[in-house]
Amino acid sequence: MKNNNRAPLPGHLAGLEPLSRRGFLRASVLAGAALTSGCASLFGRKDAPETLQYYSLKPDEVDVITRLTEIMLPTERYGLPSSTTVVPTVKNIDIMAQRFPEQTRELLGLGIWVFNNRPMMSFKFKKFTSLSDAKALEYVNAMQEGAFFERGLMTTLKALIALNYWRDERTWPGLEYHGPVTETWGVRRLGNAPLPRA
Amino acid sequence: MSQVKWQASGLQVHQASDVTSEHIALEADVVVVGSGAGGAVTAYELARMGKRVIVLEAGPYVPSQAFTEDFTESLHALYQDKGGQANSSGDLLVLQGACVGGSTVVNGCVCFRTPDFILQDWQRDFGLSELTEAELAPYFDEVEQNLSVHDNGEHEIARHGQVIRAGANKLGWSVKPLRRNIRQCGLTGHCLSGCKTERKQSMLVTYLPWAQAHGARIYSDTRVEKVVTEGGVASGVEAVVTRHDGTVAATMTVKAPRVVLAAGAVQTPVLLLKSGLANRSGLVGKNFACHPSLLVAGRYPEPIHPWRGAMLGVHVDEFMHPDKGGFILEDGGFGLVEMTMLAEPGTGKPFMEYMENARYLAGLVTLIHDHNVGAIEWDGERKAINYQLSDADFPSMKRAIKAAAKLHLASGATEVYVPASDKRVIRSEADIDLQVDSLENDPQHLRMVSYHPQGTCHMGADPDHSVVKANGETHDVPGLYVADASLLPTSIIVNPQITVYALATRIARHMS
Repeated sequence: MKNNNRAPLPGHLAGLEPLSRRGFLRASVLAGAALTSGCASLFGRKDAPETLQYYSLKPDEVDVITRLTEIMLPTERYGLPSSTTVVPTVKNIDIMAQRFPEQTRELLGLGIWVFNNRPMMSFKFKKFTSLSDAKALEYVNAMQEGAFFERGLMTTLKALIALNYWRDERTWPGLEYHGPVTETWGVRRLGNAPLPRA
Repeated sequence: MSQVKWQASGLQVHQASDVTSEHIALEADVVVVGSGAGGAVTAYELARMGKRVIVLEAGPYVPSQAFTEDFTESLHALYQDKGGQANSSGDLLVLQGACVGGSTVVNGCVCFRTPDFILQDWQRDFGLSELTEAELAPYFDEVEQNLSVHDNGEHEIARHGQVIRAGANKLGWSVKPLRRNIRQCGLTGHCLSGCKTERKQSMLVTYLPWAQAHGARIYSDTRVEKVVTEGGVASGVEAVVTRHDGTVAATMTVKAPRVVLAAGAVQTPVLLLKSGLANRSGLVGKNFACHPSLLVAGRYPEPIHPWRGAMLGVHVDEFMHPDKGGFILEDGGFGLVEMTMLAEPGTGKPFMEYMENARYLAGLVTLIHDHNVGAIEWDGERKAINYQLSDADFPSMKRAIKAAAKLHLASGATEVYVPASDKRVIRSEADIDLQVDSLENDPQHLRMVSYHPQGTCHMGADPDHSVVKANGETHDVPGLYVADASLLPTSIIVNPQITVYALATRIARHMS
């Protein structure tokens, strides 16, 4: 039988009780988590961004993630492939989200909604997607240094974006990262170890 | 005894794709649950003594040549919960292998014997008078020989290890090559994605093929749901074989008078809790420790390329004894994906600069001697890992971060990134206290990872205060054994794989 007597939430989460009750905090985790599900091997990372269709993220979620990607990864200034027009970072997240269990997918959506709509007085209660570049950056930094819930949410979203950008092999040469090497180097297989001597 | 039929490569594994009937009924002398360090060793030891052994592994069989050297894909293919196993508040990833070979397939090959002062604690505090250094030494000797354990040679100490060693020497701190279970290391740096050329001496290429050579049968995709008893004595298990798309291929029962649980310190207690067994003490699932680890990155003036060469080269044991701090530092290589997860250099420009300079980074892994304050719970639907870094352990964690920062600076680093949720960069010794003392022991403040869950069915002499005897058998259920890191009464500070190999060897010999 299911035991619903879970530990109470920390007091400072009281305002986010509904989210927490649904396990969001655990799922922000999933960030660290399933976010890593292998999607690059599917079809995302070579597609031209303008042709992309999203199957898991809703349009407003795509907008939020795209905007956060722009703020977080201004790649062109660093001679790296664009995080929005070359590497389909958001599409990769979409593919990843397709592989999430339903509950996790819902919680991710909830997290994105909260991130975009979290009213903060210093930002005149504007949505994240409505903020200027400078204010958007300020908002992210404020969340990063915020309460338990805010830190977890921010870390989750940033991890999702960073992983789904840097897993693309087109980002590697600029950083001198070699990626898989065994076949390139021709390292031979040793097979099973011989049986121990009695 | 059956004829020995060793094969030079791969394993013969019964997989879900092979299933043709709705129910599979098997019989054996011993059924082993889990194919990692404890399960594989136990299976081999018993099979070579002529026992009919069946190994059941919940994860898939992934042959070495299928490893991709892509960490994100490896998390999906080889790790528990696709790399998403975490504590309840989500700030501690608990990374365990979930494939044939278990965590031994995806670990960093590091091999430490159990520190003697830990064994002394166990003797004093848990009545484990048998587990002395002298008693265990022959078992350690044997498994180390079987697994080609050796001190890293100079060529196995990559650039990141070399700079760390130089810094430790400058500080006068004890620094040693790590010992690893590897033959002719290919220096690819992709240990955490599995060793594609079978140089890591994981269970996938050692004890499992050896067990199979002696007749053991291995079933993957097979999750044991219940341990069965008759008259209070172990009599087998019930399991479910699941296809990779999540559908059930078959149910399975294995009748066996000996059941060995070696599914790891998270899954083994879950199975006991599901089965309602061996919990007279109320300690099944309790006493969880995990060496919560941080990866402290430092930026150097010259290129390091932390992904080049052997992943782990040296360790600093200056502070290993609890009286000196109770932690160790290991130099750690990493790739780009890991790099994005381990520090918070800021957003936008600072993040881009951090990544742009990835080749200048080196990492230090901290392992602390945490107290056993956590618990694995089962609510009828899902497991929960309830663990928060305790206030008693937080000072130790801060000391480890400070030592890592000091070591990076002594090694020549110009910036050290504190693995916190907010941006904290150390540029001089004067910054260390400033940046570390203000850390708070709050959820989601440190970016922690655990590779070493332990302690959830711990050994002890007193059946009211422990789950398992020193010989691995549960106090409550004759014939039911535990042979994984669940056994460890306290955290052992160091990587536990060799401890598990040695204890499993001893348990199997006692069983026979």
